[in-house]
Amino acid sequence: MSGILIDPGKCIACRACEVACEREHGRSFITVFEFESSAVPLNCRHCEKAPCIEACPTGALFRDKDGAVMVDVKKCIGCEVCLLACPFGIPEIAGKVMVKCDLCPERRAEGKLPLCVQTCPTGALSYVEPNDFSAGRRKAYAERLALRRSENAPGL
Amino acid sequence: MKVPVVCPYCGVGCRLYIEQTPSGYRLDYADDVPGIPNENGSLCPKGNAVLDLLSKDRLRKPLKAKEEGKFVEVSWGEAIKEVAERLREIARDDPNGLMFFGSAKTYNEPNYLVQKLARMLGTNNIDHCARLCHSSTVAGLKAVFGAGAMTNTYRDIERADVIMIWGHNYAETHPVGFRYVIKAKERGARVIVVDPRYTRTAWFSDIFLQLYPGTDIALANGLMHVIIKHGLHDKEFVERRTVGFQELKKTVEKYTPERVEEITGVPAELIEEAAVTFAKAENAVVTWAMGLTQSVHGYDNVRAVATLIAITGHIGKPGNGASPMRGQNNVQGACDLGVLPNVFPGYQAVTDEEKRMFFEEFWGTELSGEVGLTTVEATHEALKGRLKAYYIVGENPVISEANSKNAVKALRRLEFLVVQDIFPTETTRLADIVLPATSMLENEGSLTNTERRVQWSFKAIEPPGEARPDWWIVSEVGKALGFTGSGPKGFNYRSAEDVLREINACTPQYRGITPERLKANLAGIHWPCPSEDHPGTPLLYTERFLTPDGKAHLAAVEHRPPAETPDDEYPLILTTTRYVGHFHTLTMTGRSELLRKRWREPFLEVHPGDARRFGLEDNGWALIETRRGRYAARVKVTKAVKPGVVAIPWHWGANVLTNDVLDPVSKIPDTKACACRVKPVGEVEARRILEELRAEGVVA
Ligand code: SF4
Ligand code: SF4
Ligand code: SF4
Repeated sequence: MSGILIDPGKCIACRACEVACEREHGRSFITVFEFESSAVPLNCRHCEKAPCIEACPTGALFRDKDGAVMVDVKKCIGCEVCLLACPFGIPEIAGKVMVKCDLCPERRAEGKLPLCVQTCPTGALSYVEPNDFSAGRRKAYAERLALRRSENAPGL
Repeated sequence: MKVPVVCPYCGVGCRLYIEQTPSGYRLDYADDVPGIPNENGSLCPKGNAVLDLLSKDRLRKPLKAKEEGKFVEVSWGEAIKEVAERLREIARDDPNGLMFFGSAKTYNEPNYLVQKLARMLGTNNIDHCARLCHSSTVAGLKAVFGAGAMTNTYRDIERADVIMIWGHNYAETHPVGFRYVIKAKERGARVIVVDPRYTRTAWFSDIFLQLYPGTDIALANGLMHVIIKHGLHDKEFVERRTVGFQELKKTVEKYTPERVEEITGVPAELIEEAAVTFAKAENAVVTWAMGLTQSVHGYDNVRAVATLIAITGHIGKPGNGASPMRGQNNVQGACDLGVLPNVFPGYQAVTDEEKRMFFEEFWGTELSGEVGLTTVEATHEALKGRLKAYYIVGENPVISEANSKNAVKALRRLEFLVVQDIFPTETTRLADIVLPATSMLENEGSLTNTERRVQWSFKAIEPPGEARPDWWIVSEVGKALGFTGSGPKGFNYRSAEDVLREINACTPQYRGITPERLKANLAGIHWPCPSEDHPGTPLLYTERFLTPDGKAHLAAVEHRPPAETPDDEYPLILTTTRYVGHFHTLTMTGRSELLRKRWREPFLEVHPGDARRFGLEDNGWALIETRRGRYAARVKVTKAVKPGVVAIPWHWGANVLTNDVLDPVSKIPDTKACACRVKPVGEVEARRILEELRAEGVVA
């Protein structure tokens, strides 16, 4: 399944992703952390083996047909177990229930990219199949190696 | 229905859609339009917050002042009549008692009309905010290459092997444009960043040249010294397409990397490395912005950098060129359409007899051949009581002028001030008449982005109250002044299209850029576009430059220190910066909760050594003083600035501190470097100082 891959090497800490997410969801489910010489945007990883789902006592967390980890607010009792279980500290309690990134279901239904990905000006966020991504990286790396040789080759 | 508009913020010119829904308006990304400047429809935070322009405190009715800052609502008829009468009265005595201010934030059409109005009233006193940001670029590039615009496109940045980013926090000011730098880097391009601060742009640098503010000429000369010494200049290009090389060579001879290190603080080895990297690149682009231009020798700064580009031959072919980055969505258009005191639309000099005769015939009236006042000069004239009235469209000079307290004093001395805007601002407070205009999304017209791309933006939203489009307001004033002749001889327009057709007829670069073509092609057309069947010109100077002899005129310029240098009393250098989430004087972005909560206040950046020296604490408060004023801000202790340099974003009103001494040629003030001192203050005292400044109306 596709997920949001984050490349902090391209992030410029512009926080467009936060603003876009907040505009649509009322609060931002992606947070950009800025450091002296880099920035790291972070949102839910929608993990394959999601510890939050495993830890949830009421079954409020579930996976939708695209594989996104979703919260059923009717079942959530606000016990905060998912907060402890998530290695990235993603779930937050808003009022009495847990809230988190839902991978923009309305947009997915229309075949569009999640908002944060769509708006990111630098391509630091991408919505891809992990294997497609690594295949693309492999090819790009190989191309750069090949290019190095052809620079010195005569008459090419 | 999704309406395609152009973002009202920075000069990248991003497209987006506004859609009306049963519950209000929605923003959508233009991910389905090929060839637009924001590929895939991506947007920065400001673009994402664009609908907050519909905030409740918009101006809805024309206002007339009873006393300063106290207004009563009046009808459009009454407001227009009053404006016309007062302008006519003053023009009758002396047209040069009038000053007009166009706007880089509105469309080409109203800008054209404002300058036409000024000129038909008999004065060339017309200018706009580009004076404060890129007038040195326009003048400097014109001197070297023959025209003052970006020579290439964003795509050329993507194609370059070396990108030199000079005095420009590209990642923060134009995030969507920065995408092209990142794409180039992915392909293996090298990035050289020249800046006094280690900015987010510098995060992406392979070579970072951290110079002292105001020492750009020395650095450029140092780079050229190395290039010429190693024979790395493009000899064939220099021979064939430039003049002035021998003199340049003689001048830069003295600028050895060691000497330049002393002046700029940049290590000599880095100067060598940067010079060699840039000169050896197959394709290279230089981009710059306010760090280079806002200087008392801004004109020479730009000429020096343009000369560096010319001697390496990095111009006139794909993947190369000079890319000054404009900060508002229509700076380029406002300049193109003659919102400048020395030129008619299309950069046709007012002093050129032939051009003036053309416009006299075209507009059917006698015109002044005397170059008019620039904004800062207008301030000085108003202070002397020689300027009587000011008509300001969509600008907030109280916050944007250097040494802003002085600017306020000047506006107060006027007999008559009209401000046309969308929100109440620090400047509307001083107005006699306030005219409520429509925002970019409630109106339509053409805009010209940084890369000379003209695009049409459509009307997506109904304006609030009685707010009216800028073109409508200016033409009503024109008619009320008695300019009711037919066609170009009057102000009888029914639409923005009518105005653009008139622009097509008198502006050579825009001749083929008709409303019909723009509406049919959302990606727009690059000027020059001399005829309706011409595809537009993305890349300039492929064969010849626009100078009279067709050659680039290399400039041999000497380093001079900034107008103010540190001394015992004011031991630090102050420079001004911006935040990605805010735009200029906060008139628009300051009203967006989404943006305000993320960029809530200005921070003074101080090096840890200086923080210790002056007793400043991280997150504590500092009082900053210069010869012109004082200001308070929270402190951020960071190694991003060099020892001896402090930096502050200007959006909230830091121009109470800056120096308004002018570059003699371009008349740009020295906003990027002045002497200051800092000391710790308590929060209560700091807030009191800010409150006082707010009461004076000089900070937001
Ligand atoms: S909330 Fe945390 S654990 Fe659960 S899917 Fe998201 S990242 Fe994984
Ligand atoms: S995928 Fe959607 S919900 Fe999740 S962080 Fe991005 S914009 Fe927010
Ligand atoms: S939008 Fe992209 S570049 Fe900007 S902060 Fe988010 S991830 Fe980083």
